[in-house]
Amino acid sequence: MSYIAVEGLNKTFAVRKKRQGRLLREKTLVRALQDVSFSIERGELVGYIGPNGAGKSTTVKILSGILTPDGGQVNVGGRVPWKERKDHVRRIGVVFGQRSQLWWDVPILDSFSLLRDIYRVPEGEYRARLARLTDALQLEDFLRTPLRLLSLGQRMRAELCGSLLHGPELLFLDEPTIGLDAVSKLALRDFLKEENERNGTTILLTTHDMEDIAALCPRVMVLGHGKKLYDGALPQLLSRYDTLRQLTVRYEAETSLPPLPESCAVSREGADWKITYAPAALPTSQLLSLLQSAGPIRELTAQPQNIDHLIAAMYREMDL
Amino acid sequence: MNTIKLYFRSMAMLLKSQLQYPASFFMQTLAQLVMEGGEMLAVILIVDRFGRLGQWMPGDLFFFFGMMSVTFYLTEFFGRGVTGNFSSLVRSGQLDTLLLRPRGVLTQVLCSAIDPRRVSCIAVGVAALVIGSGMSKVQWTVLKGLAMAESILLGVLLVLGLFLIEAVFSIHSVKSVELVNALTYGGRSACQYPIDIFPRPLRLIFTVVAPFALTLHVPAAYILGKPLYGWPDWTAFVTPLAGAALFAVMYAVFQRAMRFYRSTGS
Repeated sequence: MSYIAVEGLNKTFAVRKKRQGRLLREKTLVRALQDVSFSIERGELVGYIGPNGAGKSTTVKILSGILTPDGGQVNVGGRVPWKERKDHVRRIGVVFGQRSQLWWDVPILDSFSLLRDIYRVPEGEYRARLARLTDALQLEDFLRTPLRLLSLGQRMRAELCGSLLHGPELLFLDEPTIGLDAVSKLALRDFLKEENERNGTTILLTTHDMEDIAALCPRVMVLGHGKKLYDGALPQLLSRYDTLRQLTVRYEAETSLPPLPESCAVSREGADWKITYAPAALPTSQLLSLLQSAGPIRELTAQPQNIDHLIAAMYREMDL
Repeated sequence: MNTIKLYFRSMAMLLKSQLQYPASFFMQTLAQLVMEGGEMLAVILIVDRFGRLGQWMPGDLFFFFGMMSVTFYLTEFFGRGVTGNFSSLVRSGQLDTLLLRPRGVLTQVLCSAIDPRRVSCIAVGVAALVIGSGMSKVQWTVLKGLAMAESILLGVLLVLGLFLIEAVFSIHSVKSVELVNALTYGGRSACQYPIDIFPRPLRLIFTVVAPFALTLHVPAAYILGKPLYGWPDWTAFVTPLAGAALFAVMYAVFQRAMRFYRSTGS
C-alpha cells in the first residue's frame, strides 16, 4: 500500500449565517471535500494547489489528524490519523506560513528544547539534529534571540527547524514562502529539496507561489471546489494553457505596424509594440516576416506567458 | 519526560518570557496587590461595622477570605491556560497547533500560560489566613493542617473545573461567558464569606452547582472549631472531594468537546 492512501474523502462544514430571525440561525452546508482520492509514495515531494477555499487546508488538517472527515478512508504510514492522533503526530511535522508554533518571547533555542521535551526526543538525537538543522538553515547567529525580534525570513527558518527536530517522516508545509524576499525564498527551496532528497522526507507543499511548485515539485495536485481536478506533472498541466507567446518589438524609426491577423492582440508602451499571438494559429516565422516588412527592427524579445497567468487561465476554465 | 516535568519546564520558560518586560510585570503585580487588598478591605469594613456575621467572629471572616484568595489565585497562577482566555485559543487557531503535538490537549493548555503576577494576591490571602487564625486562636493540629492542604488543593481543581465549563462552551462556539463568570468570579466573590450567611438559593448554587461550600467552607469551619451546620469533624475531609468530582466530570465533558471540535473543524 502507498505511504499515504486517501480514498473517497468527504468533509462538509455547516457554516452559520448571520442571525436573521430572532431565534433561528440559518445554516448553510459547505462541501469542503467531495470524493477526493489520491496516494503518495514515501519520499515524494508533492505540490498541492488550488484557489482560496478549495479545500487544501481541510485536506491537510485531516491528514494531520486535527479533523475527522465525514466519510472516506485515510491511511498514513499504516495509521488512521484522527484515530491514533498522538502516535500519528509524533511522526509528522507541520509548518503554517501564517501561524507560529514557537514561543514568541523566548529565545528560539529555548523553544526548541521545550519541543524536544514535548516530543520526547532523546538528547543525543536532539543534539545531532539541531546541529544539522542549525547549519543547513543558518540559524547559528540568532539561536539566542527571542522569536519576536527575528525577521520574517529568519522566523520561517526557525519554524522549519522546530518542525523537523523530532525527525518527522512526513512534512506538511502550508505556504512556507509567503512574504519572504527572493533570497530567503531561494534558500528555503534549496533546503526543502535537500531535506527531501537526503533524508527521504515526504513533503506535501501547499502554496500559491507557482515558482515554488515549478522549482520543487515533480508532481502537482490541483483542487477546486473540494474536488481533485488534476494529478500529475506540472509541465503537462500547463501545456494545455500555455498557448500564447508575446513579442516585444522596437523599430529603428517611428513606424506603424503592418496589418496583422485579428487573432493577435497589440498594445503599445512607449516605443515598444507588444504583440500577443498563438503560434498554433500564426507561426512565428510568418509573424516575423510581417513585422519586418514595416521597417528595420532594432530589438526583439520573445516571452512565454507568466506561470500565474496560466494558472489563472486554468482556474477560469475549470470554473473556480 | 513525564507530564509533570514538562509542566514545570514550561513554567520556567513562561516565567522567563514574562520577565522580558520587567517594568510592566512589576507594575501589574502591584496593581493586583491593590485590587486584592481592596477586597480584603471590604472584609475589614464589615468586621469594623458589624463586629460579627452570624456565629462568625472577625478572625473567622479573615480566615474564610484567606482560604478563597489562596485557592482562587493559586489556580490563576498555575492554571492560567485554562482560567485565562481559552476562547482566544480556539479563535486564533492555536488549538490546532496543540492537536499537532503528541500530548494531551489539556496538558498543553495548562503548559501554555502562567500568571505569576497573582503572587501578590496569594500573599494577601496568606496574610489573611495568618491574621485570621491568630485572631480566632486556632489550635493547629496535624489533622487541621492536612484538612487545609486538602481543601486548597481540591479547591484548585474545583476552580479549574468551573473554568473548563467556559472552555467547553467556546469549543462549541457558543458565547455564554457571562453565565459562567457568575460561577467562577461570582463564586469567588460570594464564597470569600461563609456560606451560611446567604439565602437559600445562593447556598444551593454554591453547594451543589459550584461546591465552594463543600470544598472550602466545611474544612475551614472545622479548622476554626465551629463545624458548619454542626456536621461531624470527619466530613471536613470528605466534602472537599466534591471539587475533585466536579473537575473529573468537566474533564470528561472537555474531552468530548474536543472530539466534537475535531469533527466540526474550525
